[in-house]
Amino acid sequence: MRARLRLLRLDMLRLTRSTGVAIAVVLLLAIGVYAAWRGGRNIEAAASSTVAAETAYRDQLAYLLSTYPPTTEAGEVLYYLAFPAPQPSLPLAALARGRTEVETASLRIRLLALEGQLYEHETVNPRLAAAGDLDLAFLLIALLPLFIIALTYDLVSSEREGGTWSLVRLFARPRRLLALKLASRACLVGAVVAVPVAVAASLAGFPLDGRAGWAVALIALHTVFWFALCLGVASGRRSSTANAMILVGTWVALTLLAPAALSLANAILHPVPEALELTVHQRQGYHEAWDLTKAETMQGFFEDYPEWSDRTVPEDVFTWAWYYAMNHRGDRAAREASGAYRDVLRERERWARRWSLLVPPLAAQLALDRLAASDLSAQLAYQDAVRRHHERLKTYFYPHFFAVTPIDAVDWDRVPVFEPAVTEESATRAGFPAATALLLASVLVVAAGARLSGPRAD
Amino acid sequence: MSSWRAGLRNALLVARRQVGAVREDRYVVFLLGLVIALGVVAVLGARHHAASEAEQRARYQAMVERQWLEQPNRHPHRVIHYGFLVFREEAPLAFFDPGVGAWAGTSLFLEGHRQNTANFGDARHATGMLRFGRLTPASVLALLLPLFVVVAGFASVSAERERGTLRLLLAQGATPAQILAGKVLGTGAVAALAALPIGIAAVVIAASGAVGPVSAGRLAGLAGLYAAYLAGWVLVTVLASSFRASSRSALAQLIAVWVVLCVAVPRLGASVAGALHPVPSRAEFTAQVERAMNEVGDSHNPQDPFFRSLRDEYLARYEVGSVEELPVNWGGVVSREGEAISSRIQEEQQRDLVEGQRRQDRVLSWAGLLSPYLAARDLSMAVSGTGPEAVEAFRAQAEAHRYDLIQRLNDLHINEIRYENDRAQRLPREHWAEFPTFGTRPPPLGGALAGRALSLAALGLWILLPLLGLGLARARLARVGVERAAS
Repeated sequence: MRARLRLLRLDMLRLTRSTGVAIAVVLLLAIGVYAAWRGGRNIEAAASSTVAAETAYRDQLAYLLSTYPPTTEAGEVLYYLAFPAPQPSLPLAALARGRTEVETASLRIRLLALEGQLYEHETVNPRLAAAGDLDLAFLLIALLPLFIIALTYDLVSSEREGGTWSLVRLFARPRRLLALKLASRACLVGAVVAVPVAVAASLAGFPLDGRAGWAVALIALHTVFWFALCLGVASGRRSSTANAMILVGTWVALTLLAPAALSLANAILHPVPEALELTVHQRQGYHEAWDLTKAETMQGFFEDYPEWSDRTVPEDVFTWAWYYAMNHRGDRAAREASGAYRDVLRERERWARRWSLLVPPLAAQLALDRLAASDLSAQLAYQDAVRRHHERLKTYFYPHFFAVTPIDAVDWDRVPVFEPAVTEESATRAGFPAATALLLASVLVVAAGARLSGPRAD
Repeated sequence: MSSWRAGLRNALLVARRQVGAVREDRYVVFLLGLVIALGVVAVLGARHHAASEAEQRARYQAMVERQWLEQPNRHPHRVIHYGFLVFREEAPLAFFDPGVGAWAGTSLFLEGHRQNTANFGDARHATGMLRFGRLTPASVLALLLPLFVVVAGFASVSAERERGTLRLLLAQGATPAQILAGKVLGTGAVAALAALPIGIAAVVIAASGAVGPVSAGRLAGLAGLYAAYLAGWVLVTVLASSFRASSRSALAQLIAVWVVLCVAVPRLGASVAGALHPVPSRAEFTAQVERAMNEVGDSHNPQDPFFRSLRDEYLARYEVGSVEELPVNWGGVVSREGEAISSRIQEEQQRDLVEGQRRQDRVLSWAGLLSPYLAARDLSMAVSGTGPEAVEAFRAQAEAHRYDLIQRLNDLHINEIRYENDRAQRLPREHWAEFPTFGTRPPPLGGALAGRALSLAALGLWILLPLLGLGLARARLARVGVERAAS
């Protein structure tokens, strides 16, 4: 046992003395700690954006209430007032940022037609977004495998090419020596993974719950998969350069090509014309109402809100009840296209999840995004939460429109507060399929490596 | 003259030898087939995607234009709120390099009083898979081909040295410069073989006119750009191969260089740019606009002090006692002045935001000096007409169109609508045909390139530095030969 530990230490020393390995370790650690810090910063920025939206709401309300006479109708002031709908991010989003860069997580919505407000773009700089985002998940899932490849591709072939293999075989069983070399490399990789994850956890304050547990498990399993793959290839009799080419080729295929090809196929298989359609319909539905009788507009509104169907609006004067009912007409006109739009996006997400299970890095990435609630389905859940909020606001204010309440008679303190989307999916449901896929893939590559990669090293 | 000719012959012989070595390597041949197949799939897929997107946008644009003309008799202020929808057209070469298009909005609603955001960018409809990058002809050329060049050339010089044939070549009278030139030519020929199918497919599609008119200048620009970028990779590969002791370490080093230049630095650069120059989020931005507007006033609010003083000014100018007596429609005047103010404020805020993003871009441009991949992508989207300046041009042109549209409607309100019983009046629908239609004018190629001196310089350095390195390698190669021969 002691002898084995000494050998392990020796091998570690030999590894870290190589300039290339030392540079790679320092770079990976530096980028990792930076990515963890940046993840924490992103969460802080999202939180401060939330505070800004809430402050802006209070300021705007105070401004409107102080500039308009107290007898002004509530409907007029509400035309200007934007209600904040901030979705707090999960701490785990510091690790897996997913699509949060392009998604809006803090809409400010007015009581007007919702479909025209729901899809507002973030102030993302397209050039930065096109260059790609660097979060810890990308580092650990896309870049770390290359480090593993660099450490292991010549595990056996270097000894053979250096002429030391026969010597080694004299003193140790090759299998045991292989395990020893693997162990020292796993220690090194483990450190490169553990340090930034720990930094991210302490900066973003992960609770040590099921989500964090599954995230760590997925990262570990993904690392194991690459070790398994490298072992499978490196234990054959090929030359070091052949091993390197095969492994890097596999990395390119799994990390760059498969996701890009699947993404392209997904976009072609599931087009979203509804995005433009719903915009056109919403605008048309609202504006047509100006040329209809008020009764016609109200009829559609009462179909959706039968609880108010005993109210009437006068035909010859402007009323806010009618004005907001016209806005509702716009949403009604867009309803079908909007539903189809969400269905297509859900279908894209389902399709991506299914196919990602065949591509280990993708399986890990998408599952991490799911755990961190930074994926497309989280955005759709957020949009649904905003829809519910819009409904609650309507329910709160509509009685005031019918009753023609002045602004000083509205209880502004009891206006419904936004209830963020809650992630209903359990951590296990989000993590289990990918974890299973990664485990199966690892077993498969070791088995295939044993069978296909040519004669064994011993 | 004859020595020059002999030198060329020697270099070509070495080049042929290099191509032959590559042909014998089944891994490289397999990868060559893969890269060509991928390139062609990327061209066809991107072409299909771009065509269906363009068709959709054109269809809805036509629908919106028809709806505009089919409006009934309406009050002009009604039409100000009805507004207009414009859809961003992609540049014809977007199928080759979509640039930043996926991250920019597609549809923009133009209405009075507000500047909306362009919505429904492609990236918002994509799953987390897109994070790994898109499969486009440009990404195959810029990201994958360098790796193929590395695989095809890492052993070019080192294998000759390992096998002892380098000494033989030198002994047969080939100078180190001729050997290196031959290796560069041979590896370059293999790279060209991989790149040409993509280029040919792209030119065929562009020439067919299916994607819209493509200028020959832009195609030539792209060809030159990628040729220079890949030539840099060929030079770096041969350089590493001649400097490293073994093929194995040359390969390891080159792959590390590729990862750092093509994967790590671009993302790190983008992340650092965002951290150095943060821009406000959408919620913060709209709140800022709101605050700025509240400070000046709002045309929908008759109590506003600014508009009270404007009224006094109008009453004095026309020497009347009340707005009812004005020869022009006071409501329309308020609307026009209000639009002028709110547009100015929003444009100022927008300019600050764009300026913040340009600061981020500059950080990324400097990162291009470290990563030729970034520089090449930057130039590629500029030449393809799909860079950030094209998105900004669309936004600015759409805003100019919006402002013109709204103020024409306000002028109709001022001159054609009487003040009393204002809102009950309608303008005949014939007026709607008088408005100009919207069309994007893409920024010219020269302008797009003028702002990219840094990227052009980076690409120049990417060729120059490895050439200098090869100059040093030549001396070393000669020494190696002499040492080996002497021993």
